[in-house]
Amino acid sequence: MSASDLPIETERLILRHFEKSDLDSIMAYHLLPEVQRYLDRKARDKTECKAALDGMCAQRRLHRPGDTLTLAVARKSDELLIGQASLRWTDATAGQAEVRFVFNPTFCRQGYATEAVRAAFDLGFDHFGFHRIFARCGAKNHASARLMKGLGMRLEAHYREHALFQGEWDEELHFAILDREWRRGTKVKEIPTHLVA
Amino acid sequence: MAFVPDYPVETARLRLRPFTRGDVEAVFAYRQRADVARYLFDEPMSRESCTEVVQARVGQTGFEQEGDKIFLAVERLEDSAMIGEVSLILRSLESRQAELGYIFNPDFHGLGYATEASRALLALGFEGAAMHRIHARCDARNVASWKVMERLGMRREAHFHEHVLVKGVWDEELIYAMLEDEWRTRRDA
Repeated sequence: MSASDLPIETERLILRHFEKSDLDSIMAYHLLPEVQRYLDRKARDKTECKAALDGMCAQRRLHRPGDTLTLAVARKSDELLIGQASLRWTDATAGQAEVRFVFNPTFCRQGYATEAVRAAFDLGFDHFGFHRIFARCGAKNHASARLMKGLGMRLEAHYREHALFQGEWDEELHFAILDREWRRGTKVKEIPTHLVA
Repeated sequence: MAFVPDYPVETARLRLRPFTRGDVEAVFAYRQRADVARYLFDEPMSRESCTEVVQARVGQTGFEQEGDKIFLAVERLEDSAMIGEVSLILRSLESRQAELGYIFNPDFHGLGYATEASRALLALGFEGAAMHRIHARCDARNVASWKVMERLGMRREAHFHEHVLVKGVWDEELIYAMLEDEWRTRRDA
């Protein structure tokens, strides 16, 4: 499955493939310790950030389960790259995918992450036809948990001390949403009452 | 690690012991049943499949490395009837995680045997094998199974909806878990 609909435009954002020229923009947040913690691969210096960027540049389509599509999220107004969102296809027969996102803390609290993840859900359910999309986050990551709840995801799991993460007991939340729940929640727009004759 | 309990393990009414080749008929008695297979990943089993299953369980009595499994046959003390089985799987050595499982012959359901045998296995896991967390899972429709987990004092940690297809049907799965300090608190209460 290719993502031929890219780039995706939302009200304030553009979701597009990563390019080699995004290095400075991703270093601006990958190098932060509070972001570092949630990254797939270490990005402690420019060399590691470049390797991470190369990896993300290559994640352009979902051909088979296990593949990841990673999108750079940029602001429409100034084309500034503010974060990333990805879909990982985890199970073909059951149509499952995981959504992940990382944003530059400088641009937090403005609803950008929600807007980008909402676009990723549309892509996942409408374009790729997934049945269920899930997301995980640490129990202390309140901002992410709030975002997922706000999008109508259901808290399906709260694991306590199920694994060691960087030497500490981990506590993990799983959120999920089914295609029919997403469509019911977002696609069927009610006619505002003041417009009803 | 090396952990092999002293067998048999006895509770008030039950004996937990390693499987032997002589257990095929007793295992076939419940694994051939559709009501038992309904909530397992396997279909109802033939006697031949049960022979293979029992042979695979013989000798799985201790933990040494990740992925090792302990399978124990559960007998009633009063008449030595083999009424089911319990299992403990070492899922992670580093974070001391294990998974509890049980299958009981429905002819002996409703008598608290599954709870009694599983409690003995939790004791082995937490106190013998020094596990930090033990979890168990079941189909959400299998009410009798998750009631056992609740009686054991395990907490419901997950309720997954349609996350996988099992036998062509959308699955709903529950995961229950208990931590070592929760086990101790309950034991000492």
